[in-house]
Amino acid sequence: MTAVETTETAAPAGSIPPALPPAVTGGARKRRRGGAFDRALPYLLLAPALIAILWLIGWPVVSVFVTSFRQLNLGELVRGEIVWTGFDNYATVLQDERFWTVSLRTVVFTAAVVGASVGMGLGIALLMRVLTPWVRIALQIAMLCAWAMPILASTTVYQWMFDQNYGILNKTLVQLGFDSFAGYSWFSSGTSTLSVVGLLIVWQAIPFLAFSLYAGLVGIPRDLYEAAGIDGATGWQTFRAVTWPEIRSLLMMVTFLSTLWDFKVFAQIWVFREGGPSGESTTLAVLQYLEGIAKSHFGVAAAISVLMMVILGLITFQYLRRLLQTEEGKI
Amino acid sequence: MLRKSAANVVGLVLALFFLFPTYWMITSALKPKGTTITSDYDLVPFSVTLTNFATAWTKPGFLSALGNSLLVTLTAVVAAIIIGITAAVAMSRFAFRGRKSFVLLMLVAQMAPFEALLIPMFLMMRDLQLYEHLSSLVLVYFAVTLPFCAWTLRGFVNGIPVELEEAAMVDGCGRWGAFQKVTLPLLGPGLVATSVFAFITAWNEFLFAKVLIRSQDSETLPVWLSGFQTAFGTDWGGAMAASVLFTVPALVFFLIVQRKMVAGVTAGAVKG
Repeated sequence: MTAVETTETAAPAGSIPPALPPAVTGGARKRRRGGAFDRALPYLLLAPALIAILWLIGWPVVSVFVTSFRQLNLGELVRGEIVWTGFDNYATVLQDERFWTVSLRTVVFTAAVVGASVGMGLGIALLMRVLTPWVRIALQIAMLCAWAMPILASTTVYQWMFDQNYGILNKTLVQLGFDSFAGYSWFSSGTSTLSVVGLLIVWQAIPFLAFSLYAGLVGIPRDLYEAAGIDGATGWQTFRAVTWPEIRSLLMMVTFLSTLWDFKVFAQIWVFREGGPSGESTTLAVLQYLEGIAKSHFGVAAAISVLMMVILGLITFQYLRRLLQTEEGKI
Repeated sequence: MLRKSAANVVGLVLALFFLFPTYWMITSALKPKGTTITSDYDLVPFSVTLTNFATAWTKPGFLSALGNSLLVTLTAVVAAIIIGITAAVAMSRFAFRGRKSFVLLMLVAQMAPFEALLIPMFLMMRDLQLYEHLSSLVLVYFAVTLPFCAWTLRGFVNGIPVELEEAAMVDGCGRWGAFQKVTLPLLGPGLVATSVFAFITAWNEFLFAKVLIRSQDSETLPVWLSGFQTAFGTDWGGAMAASVLFTVPALVFFLIVQRKMVAGVTAGAVKG
């Protein structure tokens, strides 16, 4: 019976069904019963995950669109009123000049952070290949420490390092002779604040990128490099002809993931200056929080959330489509 | 040769760049009170004390925040792993109508921008009367980590030859027996890597923890630490000690599975 069941699991294509032992010929009735159970089993196994995803992700996605067409402030929420306002929330948001400034800032910030972290991640991955083993291990341990630090811990440490009066950075700069940095505030403008936040994010994002890309580089067959060497290729030519084609899809994947992660950063920006000074380091995630949670304008905030998803969708659309196509082909 | 030593120098400088904040966190935490906030140039500590750790440990709210964080994170991750395995086995070991759609759903769900779902989540938890309850965070973290767990574990299950299970079943194991005796042990490393990644995600989460929990008793560690200035004032030594205590669990997990984790992400999750 077990053997019959095995063939009926219809294992993924390519696996070889084991030969049926002749003794199971009398198992036709059992086979039918097993078949019904087998047909239901995968759905039963998937049901908890499917229900959870539809309930906790699917429904909120629907709900954010629905809410964005409602007037929903604290009053309506408490009274349980449903007031439809059509596109009023979108009109409010899109006519607000601040929304456009914040959106542009978010996109530029994301691009800068993703570019810097992926670029440096690739650079470090390439560097790790030529390092003496003990140096490579030291670098890997150091990166692991940065990677493992919880975001709020690293944010607190950076606040301390960039402290106006007693921070080690200002003290070091003064020691080096840059006296103007005594008591210099790194958080007096939005650009400066976002630069520090960006540095923190890049510092913490590089380890994952460097480790993943290094794993990809190590997987490139050695003989490809030997062949390039015999052909007399220079370092740059070898990179273009051998490394790049092998690493490209992985590089695009980590760039895509970094974009998803960095676009919606909230914790670091909020903890440093709550989007300040005077809103100059506010990004879309912070704006949505300020509008929705701090001011209880849930309808307007939902419209911001939808626009956030639209912008993120526009940025990642091309890649996402290709990813889904290749994955669909592989399943 | 010259190029190699130049590369090594760059490598060591980079190592210092990555290590410095950790070094600075630990040494600041170890400095005696009164020597932390100083205009002296104090890159290396001359005397060492553990009083800052005692201060942080006994600060109001620290222990309850630590407990809340552990409770919420572990509950969510255990749930996500168990439900993730069942979904992974279904996706990897069975052929059934709609399988392709399920797999793609997991992939897409993994990319859901949760931060953009803040408002509906907030309204939903309020409707469910879970606002201000730790269980609301458990649900959110479970939802955040589940698609990732299911997707990654599917990769690991795919890596285990189905013939091994079939052999066990020919030898008289039931389907459950074959799973328990063959697949589960082989899945061990993948399970560890996946759960650590999920743990870190939930351990770090700040936005929902801030929005869904307002009472001090139910705060998680990230939110507690973000308000450290209320607790510590300008006592940076104490704040650094609290940061160290917050980092230790994550670092320990990381060190155990670092190698496997990278393999997990690149092989199980994202390999294109």
